[in-house]
Amino acid sequence: MEISGVNRNDRFTRGSRLVDMLSKAGLVLAILAVVLYGSFASPAFFTAGNLLNVLTSMSIVGIVVVGMTFVLVVGGLADLSVPATIACGAILSLGLQPLIGPVPAFALAVALAGLIGLLNGVLVGYVGINPIIATLGVGTIGLGIVQAAVGGVIVYGSNTASAEFAKGRLLGIPVVVLIFLAIALIGHFVLSRSFWGRWTLATGGNYSAAEASAVPVKAVKAGAFVITALASGISGGLLGLTLQSARPLIGSGYEFSAITAVVVGGVSIIGGFGSVPRAVAGLVFVQLLTNVMVLQGVRTPVQGFVLGILIVGAVGMDAALRKRGVA
Amino acid sequence: MTVVADCALDMRGISKTFPGVKALSNVNFAVKFGTVHAVVGENGAGKSTLMKVLNGSYAPTSGTIKVGGNEVRMRKPADAQALGIRMVHQEINLVPDLTVAENVYLGRMPGKWTWLRKGEMIRKAAAVLKELGAAINPRERLGNLSISQQQLVEIAKAYAAQPRIIVLDEPTSSLSEHETAALFRILRKMRGEGIAIIYISHRLKEVLEIADEVTVLREGSMIETRPIEGITAAEMIRLMVGREVSNVFPKSPAEIGASVLRVERIGDGASFRDVSFDVRAGEILGLTGLVGAGRTEVARAVFGLSRLVEGSVSVNGRKVVINSPSEAVRAGIAYVPEDRKGDGIVPGMSVRENISLPILRRLTSFGRIRRSADRSLSAIYVKQFSISPPDGERRINLLSGGNQQKAVIAKWLAAKPAVLILDEPTRGVDVGAKAEIHHIIGQLVADGMAVVMISSELPEILGVCDRVVVMRDGRASAPLTRAELSEERIMALATGEEAA
Repeated sequence: MEISGVNRNDRFTRGSRLVDMLSKAGLVLAILAVVLYGSFASPAFFTAGNLLNVLTSMSIVGIVVVGMTFVLVVGGLADLSVPATIACGAILSLGLQPLIGPVPAFALAVALAGLIGLLNGVLVGYVGINPIIATLGVGTIGLGIVQAAVGGVIVYGSNTASAEFAKGRLLGIPVVVLIFLAIALIGHFVLSRSFWGRWTLATGGNYSAAEASAVPVKAVKAGAFVITALASGISGGLLGLTLQSARPLIGSGYEFSAITAVVVGGVSIIGGFGSVPRAVAGLVFVQLLTNVMVLQGVRTPVQGFVLGILIVGAVGMDAALRKRGVA
Repeated sequence: MTVVADCALDMRGISKTFPGVKALSNVNFAVKFGTVHAVVGENGAGKSTLMKVLNGSYAPTSGTIKVGGNEVRMRKPADAQALGIRMVHQEINLVPDLTVAENVYLGRMPGKWTWLRKGEMIRKAAAVLKELGAAINPRERLGNLSISQQQLVEIAKAYAAQPRIIVLDEPTSSLSEHETAALFRILRKMRGEGIAIIYISHRLKEVLEIADEVTVLREGSMIETRPIEGITAAEMIRLMVGREVSNVFPKSPAEIGASVLRVERIGDGASFRDVSFDVRAGEILGLTGLVGAGRTEVARAVFGLSRLVEGSVSVNGRKVVINSPSEAVRAGIAYVPEDRKGDGIVPGMSVRENISLPILRRLTSFGRIRRSADRSLSAIYVKQFSISPPDGERRINLLSGGNQQKAVIAKWLAAKPAVLILDEPTRGVDVGAKAEIHHIIGQLVADGMAVVMISSELPEILGVCDRVVVMRDGRASAPLTRAELSEERIMALATGEEAA
């Protein structure tokens, strides 16, 4: 009995290790393939200017991706209020500049975005509303309030120092990129090394078991939405500062880009599995691919087509792996 | 008994094996048309498995089934239904938002492929309900009916399909005495029409009242089929338990100290009320009863997974109010749930991560989990409980059931609770692991822990526990001491039948 048990386990583990390695290395290989193809196909691709551009535009979404990873891992499906929290960050951090100065404006904008996240979290974690519906509703309300507050028009920046900072470079690397890297590192640390991250993984992996293990599951679930909202607030603030203008619809599409990156990175849509580096790798892949397509002159509808296939493929693979791994 | 013309069902040599478990072995079971045939047995005796074979949900590993004299092979429930076999489950299996008539004809609505003939459906449903003597409006939304009325709709649904064989699984568990009498009138009417009725119940008094024949199952085997005349409740109980209790569950003698957990007159307003018991240091208190008697609900409420609406809980003489598992852990209560897969393990995580989950905060400094503390904690328990394979980094769902269970118990010991509640700790684990788990429990009480063990398995309860509380219909008996314990006594308390 003992011996057959061990044998069976070995076979299973070997199988899952192979799958695990493939799924990790697979993404790295895919990124390399895109880089290689891009370099041959377009002379403009492998240049410092282009790559830096990709990196900068990636960083704004990337900050959201870090938060969205928590939402998916905790089993919260997706946060669709991202456009609202980004708009909140962008519009308020510019709009409040003349009133309270650039730094407090930024901080207040992020804090208010966090408040939207708290509302999401309470509705999803404590009231038990489906996350898609809750975040869609809260996002719509939040966007409405922000629009009403600024009168529904475009807001422009009025502080040159903060604009210089956001657009500036440190040791040749754009500040926005550095901020993204810092946030990604913090997110990675929290998810993989802290008790909060372990709780997040446990809650997403088996809600009832986590609850029965004295994990404060409701708070953990709510926390993921607060984290995402704070990240989107920061992302929106930086976006506003770089553009020096903010429309209410400034954040639309970011929720989709972030979810795409996280899912392509192999983070499970059902929760319980995933990490920030994986999500960031997914982001890098999607962004580079999009960049190559743009340089190659691939038409926008075709780009959408490719991204759609990527998402369906990634989610399908997740479902297939789950069936084999957990059942 | 050979095949006779009036034989509705003849199952011969039915065996059903699941990986590691023989759920049915060589069962013969025959039912005649126009009779009520009761099936009785303890939890886990194989009643449900046998009915699932009859229902087409399970294919038997071996054996033959004849329905109305013809050998049949059923692959899915629809096959059984086509043969005129209908099941009425213990839990209501209806759609609350549809009307009574729609529920009665669900899946067989008049006017397939065309527009639904609603008027016809309502007329027919009304006729069936009237025939059964049920005063229910077929246009009523099902969800507005009481549970007992819904149960009648469930029976009407089966009856409307004009079945040859009807299986009723614990049909009276939600019925009052008056409603039960009404149900029996219906059953007698169906019997008069020549339908074969299989009646599964724990309530032996009802079996004696309604059944013509009774079959006793025990541990997956058919023990006896007898006409109801001349059998008594006491005799049925003896046939149901009927084994020699060997001392396979040795309890190491532990010194029994002061009362650790005391619950007084607790109730949750739904599944149990007025439950009192206490458990002392070094003692194993058994909590048994039939499935659905409220044992698990009591444990979950004491642990803060559901709410108590009345009564009090005290730990070490101090009254505690517990609203969440973390408060329970702080009060010194730990709980190993019944459903290991559903509530016990986080499948994607390693054994180490599962073990440290309840006390993660204590292994943390500045928010960061101290790796060495995390590792050494799991290493201690992997070694102490000889979890196999001895690798804390292995994903827990890759372990055998017994080893998963050991890890789940380990998870709670790290929290150093004063009282440990174990809900069916050895269900679904093999014999070797079972002995190991009993050994672990023995060690814990020897070290002065108080243990509450919920189990449906009477030999386990008798072998391991110092005192036993029996639950029935949400109420608890007074604790039985070892001297008072016997399988017959427990079954009598659990079923509400006083054995001689």
